[in-house]
Amino acid sequence: MNDRALMWKNLWRKPVRTILLVVSIMIAFLIFSGIISFNIAISTFNTLPTRMVTLSKVNFTQTLPIAHYERIAAMEGVAAATHMNWFGGYFQDQQSGFLPVFAVDPETYFQVYSEDLQIPAEQREAFFKDRASMLVAEPVAERYGWRIGQRIPLQSNIFTNRNSGNSTWEFTLAGTIPTPQGSSQSGSVLIHYDYYNETVTFGRDRIGWVPFLTKSADLNDQVAAAIDGRFLNSQDETSTQDEETFNKSFTAQLGNIALVVSLVVGAAFIAILLIVGTTMALAVRERTKEIGVMKTLGFSSERVLRMVLGESMLLSFLGAVLGCGAAAGLLSLASGGGGPPIYFAPIVLVYAAIIALLLGLVTGLGPALAAYRLSIIDALGRR
Amino acid sequence: MASLLNQIGAVTALNVRSIPQRAWMSIASIVAVALTIAVLLFFLALAQGLTRTVEGSGSDDVAMVIRSGSNAELNSVVSRDQLTILSSGPGVMQRASRPLASGELLVIVDGLKRSTNTKANMPFRGIGAEGLALRRGVTITQGRMFSPGSNEIVVGAGLIREFAGFGFGETVRIRGSDWKIVGVFEAPGTVFESELWADVAVTQSLFNRPNAYQTMRVQLASPEAVAPFKTWADADPRLQGLEILSERAYYARQASQSNQFIVIAWVLGILMAIGALAGAVNTMYSSVATRSAEIATLRIIGFSGWAAFFGTMVEALALSMMGGILGILIAFVAFNGRTTSTLGSGFTQLVFKFDLSPPIVITAIVMAMVIGFVGGFFPGIRAARQRPQLELAAQ
Repeated sequence: MNDRALMWKNLWRKPVRTILLVVSIMIAFLIFSGIISFNIAISTFNTLPTRMVTLSKVNFTQTLPIAHYERIAAMEGVAAATHMNWFGGYFQDQQSGFLPVFAVDPETYFQVYSEDLQIPAEQREAFFKDRASMLVAEPVAERYGWRIGQRIPLQSNIFTNRNSGNSTWEFTLAGTIPTPQGSSQSGSVLIHYDYYNETVTFGRDRIGWVPFLTKSADLNDQVAAAIDGRFLNSQDETSTQDEETFNKSFTAQLGNIALVVSLVVGAAFIAILLIVGTTMALAVRERTKEIGVMKTLGFSSERVLRMVLGESMLLSFLGAVLGCGAAAGLLSLASGGGGPPIYFAPIVLVYAAIIALLLGLVTGLGPALAAYRLSIIDALGRR
Repeated sequence: MASLLNQIGAVTALNVRSIPQRAWMSIASIVAVALTIAVLLFFLALAQGLTRTVEGSGSDDVAMVIRSGSNAELNSVVSRDQLTILSSGPGVMQRASRPLASGELLVIVDGLKRSTNTKANMPFRGIGAEGLALRRGVTITQGRMFSPGSNEIVVGAGLIREFAGFGFGETVRIRGSDWKIVGVFEAPGTVFESELWADVAVTQSLFNRPNAYQTMRVQLASPEAVAPFKTWADADPRLQGLEILSERAYYARQASQSNQFIVIAWVLGILMAIGALAGAVNTMYSSVATRSAEIATLRIIGFSGWAAFFGTMVEALALSMMGGILGILIAFVAFNGRTTSTLGSGFTQLVFKFDLSPPIVITAIVMAMVIGFVGGFFPGIRAARQRPQLELAAQ
């Protein structure tokens, strides 16, 4: 029987105890990988270092005059600019049918967000040509079963449609946008600004914000300063930031999520660290006599140390693998429902491996050293 | 029966006195339970604080007027004409022969969140001349109220605690005009404490929203006056498309946001409880194992299996209760009453306090007891089923 087999046998000599330990380690890793994946999903966006956004200095919910867009587009160092409006859209039900609908200028929008808008040319052309058409993220179309060419009534909780006199607009679905994780288009619905602007009863010729590309990321600060300086002391002062800074501050509005995540994950791991550590110590103490026998038979102290440490490592990695697996399974199950899907983040596996290694070391080191130091006489004499 | 109780007492004493022999394992399971309870309490107290603050903001005898179907003030519209008509409705209270009513306009301005140093949405509310009188429990604690028609702001004490940029005495530049912060108000336990207030007419003109109101508040004679007021308004064709409800009912509707925290609390709480349970069960099995000789001896001298079962059970419950109490203590020291903020349902920051109310603490105690009960049950059965002769022979 080799050492590995012996380790495995030792691990399962009290199966109930081992199962309980594996379950508790599994749960800590389940919480860890679930929460970290969630945190990564809400805080990671595909960003371009050259993509920036100009908003009202007062707050991003305050609109800007359309003239701002034209001035920004003509600024030195700006490669391409577009503009977006929040439509306050929903489908059928205001609570459950909420949709992030944006009124955009199609051609420039495709320039600024080109990398996330890889759609078939005929869909793109159909969208460009028909002013009353829309593009939607694939998961949105799937969720409501919309097909290309179908006319979909969307409602706005802000604006009134001049043509119909109520808050409903009809749009033809021109195409769908694939949205891998982190896509800037995830969940979004794009409509034509011109069509929106002509049909709203108020708020005309105002835009929400201006995303644009700079010619080089080195120019970012310079361009931002030039834009904000251009509108300084006007009615509509601006604040220009790179895309990543803006996204981060938006997520930060929810609260100090990073702090809450570390506290919860910390609590879960401290709890299992104590449970596993003390149980391992007990397991080795129970085996004192055996260790004495093994040493009598010629097992070296180092070999005994390796075996105890190996056992705690085995336990720790078993729990980690099961926990990460459970998290991946649950996340993919949960993403079937409404809301943007949360993907299991592969980077979690790296963290989990490091934590499992540390957990195995910390919980196994004490008992392993005790076994290492144990003299045969003490071991066989102890009751 | 009395003898069974005596037996249970004796075995329990034996168990509890032997806890120090398993000191580390016992401490580990106590701490695991404590951390579980603390995590559960964290999210429950968060949800409770948020709910209390939102629900506590409304009065029963103030009617709130919004556009039907608006889920937030931001996308509600009430016209100036409607405001005038509503001010003369039945049951509207008067002060100095003017109706106690306030047409309001809420806009969002940026503040700087102190804890994360990032921009955050501050509610900037233009209120009518009677806006302050309509909100009981609001007191100006520093400086004075803004004077009508001027670029002056009063700021909620909660907002000042959590956000920078609107300190008392400061001047802020918004849309090309300077605004002076002339006062600080307190409105304990309400959403208003996270708001900035200014004169509604000045707000309309400086934010380029002439004559636009979003909501209206009307002081009625009594809570019973809300229904007749609503019936009267519904019958008037000029007031079509408006929804009228008591201010309390309006805020109760906004409070559903905290449900998401309750879900998080239970998902995490139950997961961690399963983890803690593993620790408790292991501790109890080892407790039974190390005392097998004593239990066997007791069984031989006539103690029943029930006594052995209950002895184990009481020990498990004692450990988990200690954990529960420790968890509650951690919660009280670490976060009870602490102020925090999140993005509220109105898309603006809402400042509130963690609230560990008695029902939540009782929930935590029940949770700890469930862990103890399940943790003691199976080891207890093992203790009760031990066959004394075999156990002693094995020694």
